[in-house]
Amino acid sequence: MSSKRKQGGSGAPASERAPRRRKSRRRTKAPLADPASDERGEDGTLGIGSRVIPPPEMHDEPPASETPVVERMLDPADVQEEIRALEARLDGMIRRASERASEPPPPASLRDQVGTAARDVADRLGLPGGGEAARELFSSDYFLRQWGRLSLRNRSEEVDDFGLDPTYEKRIEPILDFLYKHYFRVSTSGIENIPASGRCLVVANHSGTLPIDGVMLRSAVRIEHPSVRELRWLAEDFIFYLPFAGAFFNRIGAVRACQENAERLLKKGSLVAVFPEGIKGIKKLYKDRYNLQRFGRGGFIRLCLRTQTPLVPCAVIGAEETNPMLYRVEYLSKALGLPYVPVTPTFPLLGPLGIVPAPSKWIISFGEPIRFEGYGPEAADDHVLVGRLSERVRSAIQGMLDRGLKDRRSVWFG
Amino acid sequence: MAARRKGGKRRDGKPDLVESSIPPAAPLSRSSGAGVATSLPKSQVVAVTGAAGFLGLNLIGLLEEDDRVRRIVSLDLEPPRTAGQKTRVYEVDLTQPATEERVAEIFAAEGVDALVHLAFLASPSHSTAWAHELESVGTMHLLNACRRTQVRKLVMWSQTVLYGAHPTNPNFLSEKHSLRARRAEPFFADKIEAEADALRFGRPGKGRVVTILRTATLLGPTVRNYLTRYLSHRIVPTVLGFDPLWQFVHEADAVAAFKLAVDRDTPGIFNIVGEGVLPLSTVIRLAGRMGLPVPRPIMNTVTGALWLAQLSEAPPSFLDYLQYVCVADGDLAQRQMGFSPVYTTREALIEYASAQHLREVKLLSETPA
Repeated sequence: MSSKRKQGGSGAPASERAPRRRKSRRRTKAPLADPASDERGEDGTLGIGSRVIPPPEMHDEPPASETPVVERMLDPADVQEEIRALEARLDGMIRRASERASEPPPPASLRDQVGTAARDVADRLGLPGGGEAARELFSSDYFLRQWGRLSLRNRSEEVDDFGLDPTYEKRIEPILDFLYKHYFRVSTSGIENIPASGRCLVVANHSGTLPIDGVMLRSAVRIEHPSVRELRWLAEDFIFYLPFAGAFFNRIGAVRACQENAERLLKKGSLVAVFPEGIKGIKKLYKDRYNLQRFGRGGFIRLCLRTQTPLVPCAVIGAEETNPMLYRVEYLSKALGLPYVPVTPTFPLLGPLGIVPAPSKWIISFGEPIRFEGYGPEAADDHVLVGRLSERVRSAIQGMLDRGLKDRRSVWFG
Repeated sequence: MAARRKGGKRRDGKPDLVESSIPPAAPLSRSSGAGVATSLPKSQVVAVTGAAGFLGLNLIGLLEEDDRVRRIVSLDLEPPRTAGQKTRVYEVDLTQPATEERVAEIFAAEGVDALVHLAFLASPSHSTAWAHELESVGTMHLLNACRRTQVRKLVMWSQTVLYGAHPTNPNFLSEKHSLRARRAEPFFADKIEAEADALRFGRPGKGRVVTILRTATLLGPTVRNYLTRYLSHRIVPTVLGFDPLWQFVHEADAVAAFKLAVDRDTPGIFNIVGEGVLPLSTVIRLAGRMGLPVPRPIMNTVTGALWLAQLSEAPPSFLDYLQYVCVADGDLAQRQMGFSPVYTTREALIEYASAQHLREVKLLSETPA
């Protein structure tokens, strides 16, 4: 091959250009490797150095790509344009040249080498058409799918144990940031009560018909907390029955609420948010706003006692007004398989547009951590104690809510 | 036992069992307990049912090289390709009423110490009556034969799909969770019955060791089952609006787990799963396929029709797994059995996908058994 290049007359520049040309092709076209252009590519690399290329045509190219290197470096787009134009010309030349070439050029390109290797393997194995298969491999639809338009551009290849997809979250982060900073204008206080590391359980009131308070809590910690902490919130079962909602919330950090999941998360030292009111919280009517419902059966307290986790009470004010539920259509909810069918000032009235939350001002405040170091893990089985502690947390959050509401002058401006 | 190969024909006329083609590769022994101190007799006799299936085939290949195993007794309708010097091959059909007598005779004659029961269908079958005879009734026959002889150890294959896919599942199911797969589906019901049978066999006080290994769906370069066929389509149907997390175990890891269970005495139920999970949509893309989301009601009808026409890999009851999570926690196997998988879920998938792709372009021409 090298001898051929020398024979070609313009040996040095041609051999230098050859790899460059291939590189640019990779950059511009490789992802959509179409069989025809591949074919040309192979012949091309071979043809450049071979003597069939007319020297005069070769000579007017080097100046274009080589002399003004310094200036061109500054404008990559121009260089690309230039290279592409040159490529087109080269392709034309090569086509003509290869038509004239009497003997097939020897294999030289990487692609060809792979092809030959595969042929050899296939020959040894006694397979028919090994070489054809190798070529197919590089120009198949598989490659299209793998690197083309259907690839995993917006999705991670790996998710964490609970399905959080970092790439996907990064992609919708601007939307979450907009909601957090400009739409709900969340003001957060007491974020320093969340420890910088180690497990911690945030217990918050649940409200607002649509379960977006979990998303906002996660954003609050992501945006406001000094050390990089990631909050996972436990979402009600029903989200996972619904199409789209379950997959979506799961990808951005929701985890189905159950003891096993919470315990697993806490054991890994994560920051977990729970809404002990559960579904009763988000489906309460507007007239009951900011009145904490029963706190389940105190499962979150048992969790804290078992795993020795500090608990941070949290009050979310403003979420109740996003979609104020005036009425629940009970008989429809059974038929539709939904936990509740809300009637809000806008919902059935404006159709799907009615579920857009109102831009109320949100205030999220985190209270002093409550620690359970005084109790051993066996305290989790003491029902009376669990009930008492649960009630204590509930009244702490209720107190925070009441104080916050007293200080709030406007639903829209805080 | 080999009855397995008789029933459920696939579209292409291939038997619907775990089939395989390649004898166990070296990495298999990597995670199987090298240098484990065992309380077992110096050399034991191991009987393997379903010996010609994927797991049986590869396990026999491994046991052939293990000095602690004196003899391998292969029970199947076909001889396993990996049978060597130590293997005695018996043609036994577990679905026959006289099986119990015959197996008991074989066990007594060979002095079998441990039974590895792998005669289960890896993929749903159309001949449900036959499958019931094989899995549920066949297990009963086998266990009765064990009771009549001196078999002191049973290692049985089960699957994590038996937990069932439900929106109320925790993200990681432990061995304590009940098996909630649809009982109306014979594929699940027969296996759940067999498992209950095995647990009764291993009730404490009898001095028997019963290990049940619930594997996630096997995936890898050589294994064949309904999942590999599902992922081999160009366009893979999914349920619109749902993207559950999936989990696989690499075929080599699964075989290694069985080897480990034969080597050591670890009574109990263990989930044998690869680490990590992947959303179905990512699984499909990593396999180089295209997902086609279809609303569930339509999916039900279409899959039902295709299943009747023998054109689909699985009956509609498997659609739950396209919708809800069914992922098991392999922690207990790690702690008590000392089994830690070599391949993650993602690596198992990629191993499968690359082999599958080579097969498609005919660079790899192994004929799946």
